[in-house]
Amino acid sequence: MAEKPQIADYGGDKYKYGFVTDIKSDTAPCGLNEDIIRLISAKKNEPQWLLERRLKAYRHWLTMSEPHWAKLKYDEIDFQALRYYSAPVQKVKPKSLEEVDKNLLDTYNKLGIPLKEQEALAGVVAVDAVFDSVSVATTYRAKLAEQGIIFCSISEAVQNHPDLVQKYLGSVVPYTDNFYACLNSAVFTDGSFVYIPKGVKSPLELSTYFRINAKNTGQFERTLIVAEDDSYVSYLEGCTAPQRDENQLHAAIVEIVVMNNAEVKYSTVQNWYPGDKDGKGGVYNFVTKRAACRGNNAKISWTQVETGSAVTWKYPSCVLQGDNSVGEFYSVAITNNKQQADTGTKMIHIGKNTRSKIISKGISAGFSNQTYRGLVDVAPNADKARNYSQCDSLLIGSTCGSHTVPYIRNRNKSAVLEHEATTSKISEEQLFYCMQRGLNAEEAVGLIVNGFCKEVMQKLPMEFAIEAAKLINISLEGSVG
Amino acid sequence: MSLLQNINLWGDDIPYLSGLREKSLISFEKNGLPNPKTEAWRYSYFREEDLQNPQIDNEPVKCDGHCHNGDELPFDALQIKYCNGKLHINDWNAPKGVTIKSLIEAIYDGDIKSYLNKSFNADDFPFAALNGVYLEQGLFILIERGTVLEEPLYIKYHNHADKNRLCNIRNVIVAENRAKATIIEHFCAEERALYTQNTVNEIFVGSNAKLQHYVWQNEAKNAHHIALNSVQVKEGGNYAAFYANGVCGFSRHESYIRLLQEGAGAEVNGVYKLSEANQVCDISTNIRHLAPHTYSNQLVKGVAKTKAKGVFQGQIHIAPDAQQAEGHQLHRALLLDDNAEIDCKPELEVFADDVKCSHGASSGDLDREQIFYMQARGIGEDEARNILVDAYLNEVFALNENQDISEWIKAQF
Repeated sequence: MAEKPQIADYGGDKYKYGFVTDIKSDTAPCGLNEDIIRLISAKKNEPQWLLERRLKAYRHWLTMSEPHWAKLKYDEIDFQALRYYSAPVQKVKPKSLEEVDKNLLDTYNKLGIPLKEQEALAGVVAVDAVFDSVSVATTYRAKLAEQGIIFCSISEAVQNHPDLVQKYLGSVVPYTDNFYACLNSAVFTDGSFVYIPKGVKSPLELSTYFRINAKNTGQFERTLIVAEDDSYVSYLEGCTAPQRDENQLHAAIVEIVVMNNAEVKYSTVQNWYPGDKDGKGGVYNFVTKRAACRGNNAKISWTQVETGSAVTWKYPSCVLQGDNSVGEFYSVAITNNKQQADTGTKMIHIGKNTRSKIISKGISAGFSNQTYRGLVDVAPNADKARNYSQCDSLLIGSTCGSHTVPYIRNRNKSAVLEHEATTSKISEEQLFYCMQRGLNAEEAVGLIVNGFCKEVMQKLPMEFAIEAAKLINISLEGSVG
Repeated sequence: MSLLQNINLWGDDIPYLSGLREKSLISFEKNGLPNPKTEAWRYSYFREEDLQNPQIDNEPVKCDGHCHNGDELPFDALQIKYCNGKLHINDWNAPKGVTIKSLIEAIYDGDIKSYLNKSFNADDFPFAALNGVYLEQGLFILIERGTVLEEPLYIKYHNHADKNRLCNIRNVIVAENRAKATIIEHFCAEERALYTQNTVNEIFVGSNAKLQHYVWQNEAKNAHHIALNSVQVKEGGNYAAFYANGVCGFSRHESYIRLLQEGAGAEVNGVYKLSEANQVCDISTNIRHLAPHTYSNQLVKGVAKTKAKGVFQGQIHIAPDAQQAEGHQLHRALLLDDNAEIDCKPELEVFADDVKCSHGASSGDLDREQIFYMQARGIGEDEARNILVDAYLNEVFALNENQDISEWIKAQF
């Protein structure tokens, strides 16, 4: 038998987003206390109620302890060594893209996110770019405003639409929810706000691009999406960070409210810096994402491609309150080298005839460890609830780990719940077949893995699907076939 | 803690035994009882007061001896009895190649030392630690190398006392290389009995040995029953367990199985039928594949109605060098009532790439169409449901190797 094909280890760095933008930043001193929170609030010129909420969250956070139930091992995070506010200095608040610092625009261009409304992209995606703690620019606003859609940074929303923010902020993820959500509630700096009025189908896909640049900075952004009755929006989120030797913290909250007959599609390509081959550096990604289907026939669909971060702790959830509401979760998670991911979803069935579907594909390579952790909970009144879950794992090499921890709770007899999971490796035959046809081992692995993830990739919007497919190949570079 | 009381136990003057008790005490004091945050007990959690202060004493319970007599069984068996948590000494005519002793006797003789308390870490199993604190009642069963025990060994635990005694039992069962044996554990009780059964079985299956283990539980409505089967299987050995859980207020059967060497295998199958209000039945498994070419299979099916709660927590662990291991797990449950609850956590933990692992879980009601089909043929709805439930559970009964025992349990189930 021929020798097992080995995929060459490139050795070099393949994280192409690892550069640092040299830009003057306005940063808060290290550490976390009530003064810092007051400082953040003052910088953002926030109303009193928001400051009070922040302080309340902070005081509650002090009583909480870091959760350790996930299958993750990482060094203790020193929350006092972090900066909680960092903003690129701009002389005056930009009125239009022309006024945005050229350095910043270059950064986003390098990342492949052209903020300039270029012809090629015209009419496809509207972007809100968040650099460290603040939103830099939001494109296509006017076009969206014509239809009554609000798409802006959350700080602007606090100023311009305080009633909406006050009503919905924290209504899906209360500050008491968990340790990281509580921290975020106290110190969140920016993020995106989307409001789709009744009956409006967003003509554009909305997109936010998150970038951590400054050193020792935690990024705490907060996204709030409200879809009123009969509306529709597709929302994309992408993230990168520079390559640094120390770990960076990212603790975000995404809240989505979906009313009657509305639909929200939320897609993420997460590509934070994963650390180097030996696990040095990388982003700690602790994210709370939750959608509440408040209305009947509401639908929420989460699609995520997770390739980055040294540590991922993320469970996008669906609370299916309205009758006939639908929750979907499609996930591809790839870990290589020393990355660790504990990710999955929660489907909480409360309304009648609620349906949910979970498709999770995990690929581990190198020395990485990956866990799918999910909850399906059917409340006693959720008649005829239906769930189908499928979790497949693929292991590449004998030094990685792949784990599946589903929690299934059924309290209604008419509910039908199914869960399936498999663990396998890329078979020699598949690899041989591809290589016989002229692909090298690496291309062959890429092809097979892409096929393995196809079900999820199909759910991504087109622009993202192409990027994600490339990302999968890059992420697996250097792993043994 | 009321569960820790100073009582005189047999053999406190034996340093080996008192050392074991002391070690368990340290572990239990350190970890205490499981609480809602104890992951392994997440669904079958109870408060200490739910145990209703089990009595820990050494007095024999009055018994007219009716539970000492041999039972009429539809198959030949070697019978051993526990009455209210105390081993009842009969003259056992152990067949050639088989040693059966009380735990204390085996400790005096010293031949249990290489097995007792060796198969698990008490820090991971709070009730097994408690079991170690009061180590006294129990059996040592040794099936010697190459011995094939034709008759099954039938161990009956009968309870009729109502003062909530803690029945603390430790059995050590050893099947040496190439030995074959079948063990039946039958837990039964009078209807009004109140007690807390805390059983730990340490089972050692040698190379190419085979041990079948049947557990038939049909106890009192108010009883608590916590059992740990801690099993080690060596090269080419096989351990097959079958649980049938009927009535019991709270029951938890935990299997902790370590497949130590190549070719070792385990099967854990089970059925539960819960019909008492607030009844909780938990089947938990943790099968650890620690060597290449090990295999395991699990199939657990259950039926729950009237506020009963069925729990299945299964873990398959595949160690980094356990290549070509195979582990399969399936849990299916029927909810026949809106107040019933099924909780399930089928877990895979895989550290080797060349393995085949799968797990599945489903829960729901009976198929309306199947009921309709039967109704259309003149069978009433209730009867149709009963037939379908029986058929549903039959799949598991049919897997049993010894169909005489299987049929005997099924007839009473």
